[in-house]
Formats: sequence, structure tokens, C-alpha cells
Amino acid sequence: MINILTPLIIVFILQLILYSWWWIILVPLVIGFFEKDSALKASAGTGLGVFLLWFGMAVYQWKNGGEIIVIRIAEVMGVGSGFVLALATGLVGFLVALVAGYAGFSLRKVLIKEYQIS
Amino acid sequence: MRLIKTILAFVVLLILFNLLNNSQGSIPPLGKFLNPFAGFWQNGEKLDQIDEVLDVKGLRDVVQVVWDERHVPHIFAENTYDVYFAQGFLTARHRLWQMEFQTHVAAGRVSEIIGEKALEFDRMQRRRGLLMAAETTIQHMDKDPETHLILQAYANGVNTWIESLTPATLPLEYKLLNYEPEVWSTLKTALLLKYMAWDLTGRNSEMDMSIIQATLGEEFVNTFYPEHTPHTDPVIPAAKPWRFEAMEPDSIPPAFVPQIVQDLRKNEPDQDNGSNNWAVSGNKTASGFPMLANDPHLGLKLPSIWYEIQLRTPDMNVYGVSMPGAPAVIVGFNKDIAWGVTNAASDVMDWFEIEFKDDSYSEYLYMDEWIKSDLRVEEIFIRGGETVLDSFAITRFGPLVYFGENTLENGHPTGLAMRWSAHDPSNEMLAVRNMNLATDRETFYTAIEDFEAPGQNFAMIARDGDIAIRHNGKYPLRGQDQGKFVRAGRDTIGEWQDWIPYEQLPAISNPWRGFVSSANQNPVGKKYPYYMGWDYDDYERGSRINDRLGELKKIKFGDMQDLHMDNFNMQAELMLPFLLKQIDVEALSGDMGVILNDLYGWNYVSDPHEKAAWVYKQWWLRLEKAIWNDELNILGEIRKIPTRSVTARLLLKKSKLVYYDDINTPEQEGRPEIINRAFKQTIMDLTDELGPYGEAWELGRARGTDINHLLSVKGLGRTGLYTGGGQGIVNATKKDHGPSWRMLVELGDRPTAKGIFPGGQSGNPGSPYYDNAVDNWVAGKYFDIHFLDSTDIDLNSKLSLTRLRNYQ
Repeated sequence: MINILTPLIIVFILQLILYSWWWIILVPLVIGFFEKDSALKASAGTGLGVFLLWFGMAVYQWKNGGEIIVIRIAEVMGVGSGFVLALATGLVGFLVALVAGYAGFSLRKVLIKEYQIS
Repeated sequence: MRLIKTILAFVVLLILFNLLNNSQGSIPPLGKFLNPFAGFWQNGEKLDQIDEVLDVKGLRDVVQVVWDERHVPHIFAENTYDVYFAQGFLTARHRLWQMEFQTHVAAGRVSEIIGEKALEFDRMQRRRGLLMAAETTIQHMDKDPETHLILQAYANGVNTWIESLTPATLPLEYKLLNYEPEVWSTLKTALLLKYMAWDLTGRNSEMDMSIIQATLGEEFVNTFYPEHTPHTDPVIPAAKPWRFEAMEPDSIPPAFVPQIVQDLRKNEPDQDNGSNNWAVSGNKTASGFPMLANDPHLGLKLPSIWYEIQLRTPDMNVYGVSMPGAPAVIVGFNKDIAWGVTNAASDVMDWFEIEFKDDSYSEYLYMDEWIKSDLRVEEIFIRGGETVLDSFAITRFGPLVYFGENTLENGHPTGLAMRWSAHDPSNEMLAVRNMNLATDRETFYTAIEDFEAPGQNFAMIARDGDIAIRHNGKYPLRGQDQGKFVRAGRDTIGEWQDWIPYEQLPAISNPWRGFVSSANQNPVGKKYPYYMGWDYDDYERGSRINDRLGELKKIKFGDMQDLHMDNFNMQAELMLPFLLKQIDVEALSGDMGVILNDLYGWNYVSDPHEKAAWVYKQWWLRLEKAIWNDELNILGEIRKIPTRSVTARLLLKKSKLVYYDDINTPEQEGRPEIINRAFKQTIMDLTDELGPYGEAWELGRARGTDINHLLSVKGLGRTGLYTGGGQGIVNATKKDHGPSWRMLVELGDRPTAKGIFPGGQSGNPGSPYYDNAVDNWVAGKYFDIHFLDSTDIDLNSKLSLTRLRNYQ
């Protein structure tokens, strides 16, 4: 659970203040780097955390005055409904964070191995 | 292995970053766009939130804003600077992307946003001299301290809004196109004014007329392209005597055959950019007060062309519509006067063929001497590409718009220069400001003298009972037909040498018939001593308005509304009975008989449910083609065909005419043959397109109206609207063009007014105020306008109040 909540909370705070979308790369990369045990925890944990955050935030915006814009953008992007759009948003977050978490974990393994060899 | 996996993971991550951080063709950068903290999810209704107090940097005093139920801001300021500052601030709040994008279009800077595909468009805009004209104009405007103050206050207001934006609150279109707003400058307002002038005066039939004259002869042109078209009831009644000594133009330009063939009409604005306006004296109204109506016909887009606003200072209280990007009210009223505009349509743009010494274009022939041209270099920045430098020559006949493809027989390169009145510096901003302040006809006329381009028919009413109309603008002094053809820019013959004196322009006030009106028709009859152009709108709208106003008595708002929405097709009334008589009923098949019966039963009213209205329209278009498209297919293009009224007169009066024959067939066609053939072809074509004769053939479905987004992004417009009306009909609604603002004003002790435009106040597609007026507009309904005297409002009503406070 902590593997999911940590990226969720950190990304939430950072994005509230600084907006940029690429926090969902940077934060999972760092969290993945400090994950010692398993690649699954590093990638799936951060992926799920960001998925929940982006999906949840999208649904929140949709249901809080976003009904019109969601209908319009769903038509612009050729998707059936606001739910699909929110799901797509969550999935983009999931995919990016998953790869970033794994990349961070993997980088640590390489660096530590290099360090141990040297 | 681990290293490879790591590298692979980072490569995938980099690819993802690149894909999601940058636009992919027309797809926005999905990482940014879907980001629920700053992407499109943030462009919902919360951006419409009205604050009770807003701290705004740069105001000189407190400004109060009353918002009505449609989110029209009523601005109450203590001084001139603050009122325009607040106008800029609030207009930007609602329309920032639109106003900035339109200035990019005007300046030829679209490539900076969408890349190389806009390069040719940008190049043309630059060569037409819009940017150059705006630069000259802003220098001229800045010399007037009041204009400078107004423009700068407005710009400061816009910039204060821009500074307040965050990535989350950026308008949606910036997110779609992945760019950010730049600092607003007064030049941008000048650009918008020039773009408006281009949109309303860019009629370029000179090349077609030259080619037609060279191919089919002078008599053909004189007969079928007359200065005064049949049935036209001019803006100023033809019987009006002109009591002044007219100036004489120096010389009449001789016929000239240009060596260049260029499709000038390819890039010209919509030829139906026009309008209706009328003013009725108190003698004809139920209340005894004068009334005014106006509906400018323009391309219909979202966000809407107009922004509704009230501006109140101790010395001004004006209401109406403004152009997002320009201060003040363009069409509207105050307690003393009301005014409306229609496009003058008189000719203020001519084309000249210039002979250059060599392909450096640095010298051109004038009065048998080589004259130096000014060379202007334009830098066109291209998103994702290298900057393009485009240089072109400026001659005394205007900028060289087309060149590089043709040489004369003597080997000298040649090109086409465009002389346009809007190239000259003028101060329309001051005119609009003074219109807003005007108190009677005299002060209004003084104000509009500065409104030089685009030329407009200004109809006005005053509280003291005056009604008036003036064909206003700056018009070159011309010989007969000067400007109808491309001319040789070699000498003074054909060159603009002077202007029609302002006090001699067509105008009339308080005519005996009790009303004035205009609908883009010829402003004058044959008695008027000056030639002003020939390519005006046909007679139908103007005549219908005058007929109805002549009939109506004790006029109320309801009558004015009905006239705005009048769908009577005068052209069909004139022609359809005649055409139906020519039909060989025995030769009809399938649904043709039923359709013919419907046409017989049609009352010529183009309401949305009328199938006959669409069939007639299509029949007429095919008939015009059958008559003209063979003879006028010259040099690979169908050249400009004569107006509806000219063709109609021919059909009615000439049973035999060489032009009825299709020169591409061995048979000899006559009038009955082409009428019958066009009818059958219409039915076959419409059946192919719409299926069997039925509901789909109704005007409101077969044509209807689409109000697309400015970027034509599917999903951001309102399409398939069930509308009637059409070309040549007072309700001039077409597929994507029509009444962009319908306004009615009565000037009694207090002004009462109604208005509507097909859209809404907000430019945000996520706002209910983006298109909340569209359905009412389709239905011909209006909103009551709140003309407020003070901010003492009942906050329990649908009005809200915001205080804008200065902070440093």
C-alpha cells in the first residue's frame, strides 16, 4: 500500500503547486531508485499510485463543473464518454509511471552492481 | 543483461516523454493535455466564477463590474483609463485566445503556431500589407493623446490578465496547440482593425473583369456587369437631388489587357459579408420614439465574433458589442443615440500591373522613368522549421502582392500591386470612441468622419427624433468604371489622385418616408455624380426591407424582430412562376411531379421546413451555370458570373439569346431546354445527395447552419442547426454565415434594447456561456438588454457584482 500511496501523495502535492505533467516521470523514477526489493513494487506500485491520482483527479474535475468540457473533448478525441476519457488519463499516468518506476529501480541495480564490482 | 534492460527502460521512457510532451501532427501533447492538474480538465465552469473582489494591478481607481445573467460585464469606472483597462482585462478573461489568434491571422503569423502548412497564407497576408498598414496606423493613432491612452489602457488590462494566468487556467486552445500567449500590444488592436477592413472590402473581381472584357468584349461587360443592377432601390433614394459641385476626375483610364493572369478571387473574403440596418422615425412607431435595427452578416464562428459590454464613466454610458481585441463599442447605443452598420461595398481596392526593370524589383516604370521601389523584408517564423525571409516591393500603387511568375514581351518582370484605402493611416479608434460619446446626429457625423476604412453605411437614431444614414468612408475619386479592371501602373492614368469630399458622400436624414435602411446595395441612383463602384449586393434584401417598412405602421419591437427573421425570397417570387411555366410536365418522371407541385404551392418563404426553398435555390444555381459557365470558362477558370438580377432580367425578357446555348454540345439549346434540363438535373443531384424526396430535403436539414470553432475542431462548434433564410433574403442565414448580432433599440426617455448573437460571452468551450445563445438565435428570439445607470442592484436578482481594486 505504501508503494502506491507514496507516489500518489508526492505527485499530488507537487502537481498542485507546480502543475507540470512530467512529475509523473520524475517522482516514480526517484521512488523506483530507492526501492530495494522488487521491480514489481517499484513499477506497479508507482504505476498504480499515479493511475489512482490521475484517474481520481480527472473524475473530480469532471464532476465538479467539468461536464461540458468533458463532453466536448470526448468528441474531439473520438472517445465515447467522460469515463473513458478519465480512464485514458489514468492509463497514460499508469504507463508512464510504470516505466519510470522500473527505470529507476533498474538504474539503482546497475549502479550498485558497478559500485560493488569496482 | 541488467544494463541492457536499464537502457531499454530509459529509451522507452524517453520515447514516452517525447510523445507525450510534444504535439504529434494535429494531436495535442497528451501528457500536458490530459494532465488533470493543468490540462483540459481544468477548463471547466469554475473559470466562470465571479469574485466579489479582485485585486488588479494597474488600475487608477476602484472599478465596479455588474455581471448579468448572460455574463455581460457592465463596467463602472471613475475615469477613461480605468474603463478601457477593465474592458481589456475582462475581454481577455473571456476571449484571450481568440483575440490573440486573430491578430496572428491578420499579421501573417499563423506559421508560428501551426508550422509550415500556413506559410503560403502568411506570405499572402504580409504581401497584402496588413502588417505594414497596422504599423503605419498605430504610429498615426499614437499621435492623438486620447487614442493612445485608450489603446494603452486596453493593452495594459489584457496584459494584467495574461500575467494572472497559470498553466491550469490557460484557455483550452493554447493547450490544444501547445503554445502560450505573448504580451499584448497596441499594434495588435490596429491589426484587428485592418483585418476587419480586409474582411469587408477585399472584393477582387478586377482580374476576372479584365479577362472577360478581353475575351468577350466591352459590350458584354457593359450589358451584363452594370453599375446599376435591375430593381435596385439604393440606400439613398434615387430621387434625392445632389446640390453640390462635384469634382471631376482627371482622366478616364483606357482599356488595358493585363499580361498577368492571377486568380485574385481565390483568397478573397466571403462575398456575402454584409448586413442589414434600418432606422425608423417616431412617426411610424407605436411609442412615437425612433427605433433602430441592425444585423451584421459575417462568417459564424465560435468563440463568437462579438463581445457584449456596457462601459460607464462620469462622461460616458454606452452599451453594445465590441470586437475582442479592440476597446470601445463598435455597434450599440447610449441614452442619446443608437447606431448600426452595414458594409458599404464601394470599391476601395484596385489592382495595377507594374513593369519592373529586372528581377530585383527595385525599380519600376512610371511616367517613362525608372522609379525606385521600397523593398520590405518580412521574417516569417515557422514552428519547428527555419525562418523564411520574404521580400517584396512597395510601389506608389501599393505593395506587390503577386510577382515572380510573369515577364512582359520586352523581357521585363511584372507583378500585381494592390492599392487599398486601408493601407493609409487612419484613426477608426478615435471615431468609435467619439461615436460612443455622441449625443445627437451632428456629433455622431463628426465622429464617423474619422472612420475611413472599412467604408460603412452608418444608420442612426437620436433621442431628439432624428434618423439618418450615411455612406461613410474614404473613397477615391474615380472615372466611370475605374477600378473595375486591372490597370497599368505606368502613369497617372488610373492612379488614385484624390478623394470624394467627405461632405459630398451619400447621406440622408429624416426622409419623408419615415425610415432609412441599407443592405449592401448600391448606395445611390444614377443622379449621383461620382462613380463609387459596381460590385454591390443584389436588390432583394434592400427592397424587401423598404417594402415592409413602407407598409408597416405603429411599429413595435415585434415587427422589427419579424423583419430581422423575414424569410421571404423576393428572387423566387420574381422568377419561380415564370420558370414553372417553362416546365414540360409530360417529360417528368419519378418524384419530379410531386416536387413540381410543391414548388407551385410554395409561398416563397424560406422557412426551415420548406423543401421547395432548397429545391428552388439549387435549381437557380444550375440554371446560372447552364447559361454562363460555358462562355465564362476562360483560361481554365469559371470567371465571375453576372448577378442574379441581371440573369433574371435576361430570362424574363429574352426568349432567344446566344448565351442560352451550351457551346460544348452539338445541339442548339434554347431557354426552355436549359430551364427543363436544370430542373431535372437538380432533382437527380439532390436525390443522389439526400435520398428520396422527403424530410432530408427541408432547407433546415439539407443546408441548415454550422457554427464551427475558429480552428474547425470537431466537437467545439455547434452544427446541424435548423435554420431558414439564405442569400438575398433579409434573414441572410446560410450554411456558415449570417446575422452575427441582431440588435433592436428604441430611444425613449430611457433606451430599451434587445439583442442576441449566435454564441455566448465566453470563449471557453467548457463554459455554459460559450454557446448559450445559439438555440434562441436559431429560434429568432432576443435577450432583453440591461442598460444600467448605476451599480445599485438587487444582489438577489440574477445580477452579480465584482469590485476590481488596485494593488501595487
